[in-house]
Amino acid sequence: MITNTTKKVYKAQVYEIQKVSVSSYLMEIECDRKVDVKAGQFISIYCSGLTLRRPFSVFSNNEGRIGILFKERGEGTNYIKSLKKSDFIDIIGPLGNGFEIKNKKSLLIGAGIGAAPISFLKTKLDEKGIENLFTCGFLNKNEVPSCVNIDKIYTDDGSLGEAGSIINYLGLLINTYNPEIIYCCGPNIVLKSTAEMGIKYDIETQVAMEKVMACGIGVCRGCVIDIKTGAETVNKSVCKDGPVFKGNEVVW
Amino acid sequence: MVSNILQTNLNGLVLNNPILTASGTYGYNDEYEEFIDVSNLGAIVTKAITLKPRAGNKHTRIIETKAGMINSIGLENVGIEKFLNEKLPVLKEKNINFIMNLAGSTLDEYIELAKICNKNSIKAVELNVSCPNVKSGCLEFGVDENSLYELVSSVRQEYKGFLAVKLTPNVTSIEKLAQACQRAEADAISAINTLKGTRIKLDIINGKINKTVVTGGYSGRGVKPVAIGAVIRIKQTTDLPIIGIGGIENLNDVLEFFAAGADAVQIGTANFTHPETAEKLVFELENFIKTNGFKDLEELKKELRK
Repeated sequence: MITNTTKKVYKAQVYEIQKVSVSSYLMEIECDRKVDVKAGQFISIYCSGLTLRRPFSVFSNNEGRIGILFKERGEGTNYIKSLKKSDFIDIIGPLGNGFEIKNKKSLLIGAGIGAAPISFLKTKLDEKGIENLFTCGFLNKNEVPSCVNIDKIYTDDGSLGEAGSIINYLGLLINTYNPEIIYCCGPNIVLKSTAEMGIKYDIETQVAMEKVMACGIGVCRGCVIDIKTGAETVNKSVCKDGPVFKGNEVVW
Repeated sequence: MVSNILQTNLNGLVLNNPILTASGTYGYNDEYEEFIDVSNLGAIVTKAITLKPRAGNKHTRIIETKAGMINSIGLENVGIEKFLNEKLPVLKEKNINFIMNLAGSTLDEYIELAKICNKNSIKAVELNVSCPNVKSGCLEFGVDENSLYELVSSVRQEYKGFLAVKLTPNVTSIEKLAQACQRAEADAISAINTLKGTRIKLDIINGKINKTVVTGGYSGRGVKPVAIGAVIRIKQTTDLPIIGIGGIENLNDVLEFFAAGADAVQIGTANFTHPETAEKLVFELENFIKTNGFKDLEELKKELRK
C-alpha cells in the first residue's frame, strides 16, 4: 500500500495499551510518519463494524507515536480494548482546531477524562516556558490516571487531594493563582462553570467541547452547537470549528 | 487521472466516472481534499441548498444504528446566495464536477431556485423532494405523484440544465413517482433518499436510565436492499437514467446497483466511516473492468444486467 503523505489518513500500529486507572486506558499508536498535533485536537478511529468513527483527543505525541487516554464508553472503546501490540489501526487526523496557546499565566482545569487534552496542553506550555498550573478533579483516587502529572488534584470523596468537586474551588483557584487565561476540558457542567467564572473575573477561557460526531470534518453538521458571535447566535461544528471554543461565546 | 473507460453519460451529462457522493455527506466543494483528490470523482452532489440560509434542527442530530445511522440535520445550509458567491468559485477553481442539490418548502421556492441556477449556468441540479427532517413542503412533493409532476415540470420550464430528482423510499409506489418525473421531463432519477426511522438509545449507568431518541433519515449499509429494490422497480417502469444511492461501501455494492439498473451511484454514509471510499471506488472499478477484460463501463453494465 502506498500512503499518500499529504493526506490526513495514516497507517498506524498499536504500540501499547495499558490500564491507567480503574476506568481509563492509555493507548499509544505508531503512525507511518510524523504527525503534528496541537493540544486539543483529536484523531478519529475506525472501530471495526461500526458506522461512525470515534473521536479521541490526543494525550501525547512523540514524532508520530500518538497517545490517547480514554474511558470505557461502549462499543467503540470495546473494540479498542480488543487490540494488542502491532495490530493495525485506521485513524484520520489530526482534526479540529485545538487550544490557542497564549503566552500568559495559564490555569489548566481538567475533570475526569478531560485530563487528557489538558495534560497534552501542559506539555506544550512547559516546552514554551509558559507559567501554568494543572488542576484536575476526579470522583475518587482510583479514577486518577497514573500517566498524568497533575499539580493539584481534587476528588469528590476526598480520597486524594482536596475534597469536593473542582467546580467549588474555581473561585479560590482564580483568586490565589491569578491566571491571565484559563483552559478547560471535562463534563459540560465543569466547562460551563469555568466559562461563567471567566466572565465574572474577566479572564479569557478556552473550553474543549464534546458531542457525538459523524463526519469529523465539518460537513455533516451533526455536531453543531450554538455560539455567540457579536449579536448573533450561529451554528458551529464541534469537530471542525471546535472542539475548543471561547467560554464566553458558548450558549450553554 | 483516470482513463475514459469509466465515462458515464446521464442523458447528456457526461461524467468522467459513475462514482458520485451523496448530498449532505460531502459538503459544498473541497471539504474532503484533506483525504482525497476530489476532482477524481465523477461528481459531488452538494449539500441541499435552499433559497435562504437555514440553521437546521435544534435537538440531537445524529445517532448511530446497528447498520448505519439516523440523521436529523434539518437542511442546515448557507443558502443559495452564499453558495454562489463563496462555494461555487472553489468548485470551478479546483475543477470539481458537481450537481447542485436544491430543496424548497413551496413550489415558488423551487421555481425561484431553478431560475437562479439557470441564470448562473449551473450544469446539473438534483431536486431534493424527500427530506424527512423538514416539517413542511419538501417531503410532501416527494410522496404525491401529482404534486411531484407539477413541481418537476415547473422547475423544468425554468431550468435548462441536467435535472435529476431524488426520490424517497417512504412511499407505497415509487414507480408512480418515477413515472411522474419522466412525464415532467426530468433527465434522471436519484434513488433513494433516507428511510424515516427512530433510534431509542438507552444507557443505564449506576441504575439511572439515560434515554436518547433521534427520529430522522436512516442511511448506511442497512438500507441497501431497500435501495436496490427501488432501483429495480424504477428501471422497470421508466427509461430515465438512475443514480443509485443507499448503503454503498465497496465495489460489490456498486456492481449490485449496476446490475439492478443504476447508471451511476452515490456514496453517502460510507464517507463518514472512510473518507477515501469514493475515490477508492473509482480506482477499483477501473481495475475491475481492466482485469476482467471488458472494453469499458458500458460493457460491464450490460454483462451485469444479463
